[in-house]
Amino acid sequence: MTDEHTTAGGQSYEESVIEASEANRQRFDDGRWTRIFDHFKREWQIYAMLLPTIIWFLVFLYKPMYGLQIAFKDYSIFRGVAGSPWVGWEHFQTLFSNDQFIRAVKNTITISFYNLLFGFPAPIILALMFNEVMHATYKRTSQTIVYLPHFISSVIIAGIVITAFSPTAGIINTFIGWLGFEPVYFLTQPQWFRPIFVGTGIWQEAGFGSIVFLAAIAGVNPSLYESAVVDGANRWQMMWKITIPSILPTILIMLIIRIGNVMEVSFELVILLYQPSTYETADVVNTWVYRQGLQSGQYDLAAAAGLFNAVVAFVLVMTANTLSRRFSRTSLW
Amino acid sequence: MMKWNLYSRGDKFFAIVVSVLIGLFTVATLYPFIYIAAVSFSSGFAAQAGKVVLTPIDATIEAYGYILKDPQFWISYRNTFIYTIGGTIMSLMFIIPCAYALSRPQLKGRRFFNLFIAFTMWFNAGLIPFFLNMRDLGLLDSMFGIILGFAINAFNIILLRNFFESIPQSFEEAARMDGANDFQVLWKVFIPLSKPAIATITLFLIVARWNGFFWAMVLLQSESKIPLQVFLRHTISNLSDDDEFAIVQTAAGFSAETVTAAIIVCSIIPVLIVYPFIQKYFEKGILLGGVKE
Amino acid sequence: MSGVNLSGIVKSYGAMQVVHGIDLTVAEKEFVVLVGPSGCGKSTTLRMIAGLEEITAGDLTIHDRRVNRIAPKDRDVAMVFQNYALYPHLNVADNMAFGLRIRKMPKNEIKTTIDDVAEILGLTEYLDRRPADLSGGQRQRVAMGRAIVRHPKVFLFDEPLSNLDAKLRTQMRAEIKRLHKRLGVTSVYVTHDQVEAMTLADRIVVMNNGAIEQIGTPMELFNNPSNTFVAGFLGSPPMNQMKGTLTDSGALVGDVEIKINGATGPHAGRNVIVGIRPEHVTLTAEEGTSPLPINLDLVEPLGSEALLHARHGEDNLVFKANTENDIDSLSGVNKVHIPAHLVKIFDADTGKALVLGD
Repeated sequence: MTDEHTTAGGQSYEESVIEASEANRQRFDDGRWTRIFDHFKREWQIYAMLLPTIIWFLVFLYKPMYGLQIAFKDYSIFRGVAGSPWVGWEHFQTLFSNDQFIRAVKNTITISFYNLLFGFPAPIILALMFNEVMHATYKRTSQTIVYLPHFISSVIIAGIVITAFSPTAGIINTFIGWLGFEPVYFLTQPQWFRPIFVGTGIWQEAGFGSIVFLAAIAGVNPSLYESAVVDGANRWQMMWKITIPSILPTILIMLIIRIGNVMEVSFELVILLYQPSTYETADVVNTWVYRQGLQSGQYDLAAAAGLFNAVVAFVLVMTANTLSRRFSRTSLW
Repeated sequence: MMKWNLYSRGDKFFAIVVSVLIGLFTVATLYPFIYIAAVSFSSGFAAQAGKVVLTPIDATIEAYGYILKDPQFWISYRNTFIYTIGGTIMSLMFIIPCAYALSRPQLKGRRFFNLFIAFTMWFNAGLIPFFLNMRDLGLLDSMFGIILGFAINAFNIILLRNFFESIPQSFEEAARMDGANDFQVLWKVFIPLSKPAIATITLFLIVARWNGFFWAMVLLQSESKIPLQVFLRHTISNLSDDDEFAIVQTAAGFSAETVTAAIIVCSIIPVLIVYPFIQKYFEKGILLGGVKE
Repeated sequence: MSGVNLSGIVKSYGAMQVVHGIDLTVAEKEFVVLVGPSGCGKSTTLRMIAGLEEITAGDLTIHDRRVNRIAPKDRDVAMVFQNYALYPHLNVADNMAFGLRIRKMPKNEIKTTIDDVAEILGLTEYLDRRPADLSGGQRQRVAMGRAIVRHPKVFLFDEPLSNLDAKLRTQMRAEIKRLHKRLGVTSVYVTHDQVEAMTLADRIVVMNNGAIEQIGTPMELFNNPSNTFVAGFLGSPPMNQMKGTLTDSGALVGDVEIKINGATGPHAGRNVIVGIRPEHVTLTAEEGTSPLPINLDLVEPLGSEALLHARHGEDNLVFKANTENDIDSLSGVNKVHIPAHLVKIFDADTGKALVLGD
């Protein structure tokens, strides 16, 4: 006679196992609430660690978002955020009929555009050049120096710029004098503001910005270069045919981030460098908000301008993140 | 990297040209600092006449004498140390536990909390609501307000969270089986294992605090509370159009330019002292934060 | 008293169930090895015993105490991790003392405990070193030391040898075995390496797709696999499996009939898998064998023996042959002889072993 170890009823082994487990779930399951209770009893410490920061965010960053409603209100200090009467889109109508605000928006975009045009390629070029420097100590020393300005405060940067560009005492006008020209009043003339601002930005950030690209270059597979050498390529060709294509994804991502931050002109430096005579080229949205709100006390109108800026920035950043996800399959955050 | 001896003549030429260009950029980066140092040690007349180029002219330390005698300089210097040390410690006390919690897979609502924090990087209410909020909280003209109100930024949390996530889970599990609770795991395992990342963040925090200017200018009114950067700004803008000062200086050996330069030198020196320590870390640190899967 | 008892243990992540109700009893002092391909649920099962994964359903007891809702630290178990999880900032002694300090054991007791265990593991002279300064084998020993110092009721091993090179692995395998004999602590050991499973285990648990395929001593599993999965998983190379049909006197594989012990008559016509271990065939006809013609593809000499890669019909087969004779003569082999008493028969549809009556 035969005797077989197959399961009863011709059922497959897997089926019977799954069925058994369904039964187990009925019988042994501790229950959803028991498990949630257990979870918090066991893991309360991580929630305790999280709590202070969450409260901080609520108090210092989310509460002001609630306060943004004054952009739609006739805000009075005495009535407070909640008590002030609604005025709808009035402040926005005022804004868009205000020449100074329109000018500030245009200036923001223009300065950002110049930053992008000149400031964006600078760190890439610098990184590509560092990659070609053969002498290790020379390279290291140079890197140490060019990273430094990133860590200097805008007040000092502005102090240096003001001193160096001073019409009588500044080194720039000393040089101009040597060349036989009349001194230029750089900081009071609108046409000089943007070149000085963008140039200062490059001086301060190009070195530090090159780190990201240097890291990308370091990640290129060395055998690509070796096979190129065997194929007889020179360094110039390798830079164009290997290095640049290899770091193109990084370049694209950084470009997208920059575009996402178009509304974020470093207004701290603007405040330190501009003066009424250069407002026509220098005044950006945030500096306008600062003067209208914090200096002239028109909180509601200034908040409306800030909201406009924040919403545009948000849309740009979100678009940028979506784009970068498409290019790199990794999101930026 | 290929050996120099294997370079062709053309490649050697290329490398030399690039090295020279790099050298020029380096000098251009460094020069403003040298120039400012030279101005600070020059006489007021030489500086005003724009004679200073590379080295001090009619070398003097009068400008330093002037600012070091100003009690406000010392007050604001002390304040900057308070903001920097207090602020950095405060930040770390928030950031480290929070980053640890966010890096734990067992945290329920982890996606929500991450989004809750990251959202503030994409959207913020702006200057006015933030200012009004500080005022409503009674934190205007308050040193504690400066320390607490700027304690956290989302980027630092995410940077550290990413680092914590890269620590193999078995470290935590082993500690847990050994009887450690979360505070012990964080204190005895994660913090020692993350020294480089925490050092990076600490140094970023220190630099940000040391350089902090705008909100200190907006929120602080009392001279006894302002940090160095605000004092520096006041001095620069006051000196340049202060007639009284112009009369005083003719008698002494300094000018608005040399005094400004001297203050700049004094406030850069601490940055230069920490800079070598930072450099070890920030190259890695900057890459830690940005791109995440 | 049982060491560890799993009854109807289920693990789900959301809607996805990865462990489908496991029943297993590990006796006290027993060494049980969970083995299976990656993703079979063996590590998840171990981690549920450790308390590192929450149990979705079922009962887990350790020394007859239900521990489903007990934190890992209170289960009195110790675990050796695949990557050892040694803290790089602590030296060997501090690594081993970590758990004892957390449990607030007095300092002098910690010292004597560490010294004793270091002695057993031959780590005495390395106590001051950091993990980075140790060899792979030494790190492995420290990882075990850290588990041993706590005198747990149960040792859990999560693929502890997979980061070592082949030679060291053999050595450490023997060491773990000796250690278990000496300490006599209940052990549950997870590996994907069937050789480790065979050599270490008192009993082996073969897992696949989140369920147990078979439990038994190494030799039971080797000699009587209950299904084609176990047959194909244990043994190196694994058991050959050929499609066939049962006849009155044996099994028809292609057009060749292979003799089988037992009464095949009642099953005649049934589609089966015919299994034969590579080492069980002979190259010459003997009493009770039946010949199987093969097309030889390749001879791989291994030293004392050689692997013959061959085809029969559509089935790819591997056989082991002694190399006492001239290895060149193996290239002329065109048939092997299969001993009737060593042939295994499995149902072609379910893969279950068929036990034939006499």
